[in-house]
Amino acid sequence: MYRIRFHARGGQGIKTASRILGTAFFLEGYEVQDSPRYGAERRGAPIFAYVRASKKIINERGIINKPDLVIVTDDSLLLLPIAGVLLGVTERTVLLIATDEATELWKKRLNLQGLVLSISTQAAVKGHAGLPLLGAACVGAAAQLVGAISKSALEEAIHDQLQPLGKVIVEESLAAAMTAYDQIEAYAGCTTEREDPSADSYESPNWIDLPFEDAGTSAPYIHAAATTLNVKTGVWRSLRPVIDLQQCNRCALCNSYCPDGVISLDAKGYPQIDYQHCKGCLICLAQCPLHAIDAIPEPGQEGEIS
Amino acid sequence: MKESSLKSIKDLPSTHVLGPGTPTCAGCGALGAIKIFCDILGEKTVFVNAAGCMTLLTVYPFTPFKGSWIYTAMASAPAGAQGVRDALDLLIRKGRLKPEEDLKVVVLTGDGTAYGMGLSSTSSAIYRGLDFIYICYDNEGYGNTGHQFSAATPHAARTATSKGPEGYQRYKKDLFAIWAAHRPAYVATVAGTEPLDLARKIEKAKDLKGSKLFIAFSPCPTGWYFEPAKTIEVGKLAVKTGVWPLKEYIDGKVAHTKVPLPKGKRPLVEEYLKIQGRFAHLFSPTRNENVLEKIQAGVDAYWESIV
Ligand SMILES: Cc1ncc(C[n+]2csc(CCOP(=O)(O)OP(=O)(O)O)c2C)c(N)n1
Ligand code: SF4
Ligand code: SF4
Ligand code: SF4
Ligand SMILES: [Mg+2]
Repeated sequence: MYRIRFHARGGQGIKTASRILGTAFFLEGYEVQDSPRYGAERRGAPIFAYVRASKKIINERGIINKPDLVIVTDDSLLLLPIAGVLLGVTERTVLLIATDEATELWKKRLNLQGLVLSISTQAAVKGHAGLPLLGAACVGAAAQLVGAISKSALEEAIHDQLQPLGKVIVEESLAAAMTAYDQIEAYAGCTTEREDPSADSYESPNWIDLPFEDAGTSAPYIHAAATTLNVKTGVWRSLRPVIDLQQCNRCALCNSYCPDGVISLDAKGYPQIDYQHCKGCLICLAQCPLHAIDAIPEPGQEGEIS
Repeated sequence: MKESSLKSIKDLPSTHVLGPGTPTCAGCGALGAIKIFCDILGEKTVFVNAAGCMTLLTVYPFTPFKGSWIYTAMASAPAGAQGVRDALDLLIRKGRLKPEEDLKVVVLTGDGTAYGMGLSSTSSAIYRGLDFIYICYDNEGYGNTGHQFSAATPHAARTATSKGPEGYQRYKKDLFAIWAAHRPAYVATVAGTEPLDLARKIEKAKDLKGSKLFIAFSPCPTGWYFEPAKTIEVGKLAVKTGVWPLKEYIDGKVAHTKVPLPKGKRPLVEEYLKIQGRFAHLFSPTRNENVLEKIQAGVDAYWESIV
């Protein structure tokens, strides 16, 4: 069975990408599972998708803890512990990253033994909106890496899944996927299957037994105020707004316009950004009349959120 | 009516009542509006929230609110608000709550609820003279479920359920007029992207007795297909081009609080449309002159009717 795990940020189209890969496997005669995983969080938050494909019946369920292939469409996730990109990655796992940094650098940074491949975001085929079609490129590369998906199956899967979005998107995505498929030809089949589990290898999950409580105890009351303070939405950011206080005239517009209310003013009226919660929408940058706000790629320093 | 103490954006509160760390999308225009509502209304509130994107603000055990919050079914938030108001009144009457500890009851719903299935319960609540505030954040569609059209979706917009070559075929309902026809204490259209106008209106209305209702224009990067950084630009263009009139109803009269430049001087509506993916089909592969003209004519006719 192939076990493939996708890591992306909400809004990057990874739900569709995993569905295309699953469909392509299916067209090649595999039994397939594909399932995205996300919570209430929106665009920008780290999300996951899983694809299992096997010639036999798939009895395994749930999240993939021991992947054969890990696909990352946003390299800022690699240094983010809660994104869990490296969970269960061994020397036989292939890691495919959409990044403009050298794969050797990532191998060193993350101390990886296995094969690490990259898709350049700058060189990737761009869509009509000018953004690189990373989801489609990653699917194309993955189809080649598993060595079990022909170009025609990939093409049919893309048509099948993207048709409702219109001809332009189908064609752009096909171009992005096929380019990546060809580029990675030297690595065809590098991702290999691992044995399907047998019943005796089954590990029971860590269930927690909850006692039955009366409604007064078990109803979800929140007694404290503003507890979302504990949710670090700063991890959603792929770009970090940085204020140059030398250029700032304390107009306070950024404070008024930041929808998340994460810009405060100090005693002298200078703005400060709460990076633990800033989602990186860059409204502040777009609205600052003096262009005192710049954006730099995350993570600012390795592993740093705040 | 006394003059507002809020003269410029610098007079708005710079520390915020609503906590950060909410699950709304980066750049969410609705959140930007609600942030300002909370700043002016303060902490002594009970939010009565119908299903929609903003229900996700409070997901156990997390809440950004400093006051209280309860959840209701989509159609029944104003009915829930009646229950909360009655309970508070009873507690005060019985001496179990001091009058100065009273809370403001605030209904928070999307446009799907406000323009559609919640209209009947709102009508009844205004009719009964319920003392409450209603905030409808209008993102012009069913955002939470993947942006299907609602009765607030503008003509020609593409949504998950209006994907034809000319987008949504019907026209946005005039909720302001419907609400104002009930003659409540206060009705206003606002936008989170116009913080000063918004703050002044809340300040003016919050202590009036009776029903105070707001429709907050809420650019939605996810459902309208534009980059999150452009939320304010989209909102400002809606006002400048005349697509979103800022107005209020009080004492039986409607007044516009910000009037766009006269026809010929104000930017064309297409300036607003072309920066949003949901209208992209009007510009490419070919320009749909017919529909663009029709939309422009609708906006021009509105402002011509205002004397
Ligand atoms: C009676 C009922 N029908 C359908 C739903 C599913 N539902 C949850 S949120 C939502 C969309 C609501 O749209 P809107 O009020 O505009 O709020 P938004 O999601 O845009 O914030 C729908 C249809 C529901 N919760 N209750
Ligand atoms: S908008 Fe720009 S100039 Fe104004 S306070 Fe913010 S950083 Fe300073
Ligand atoms: S990028 Fe700017 S406007 Fe957006 S959440 Fe961060 S501080 Fe606020
Ligand atoms: S879908 Fe739109 S309204 Fe809903 S949270 Fe996202 S930006 Fe806000
Ligand atoms: Mg809505």
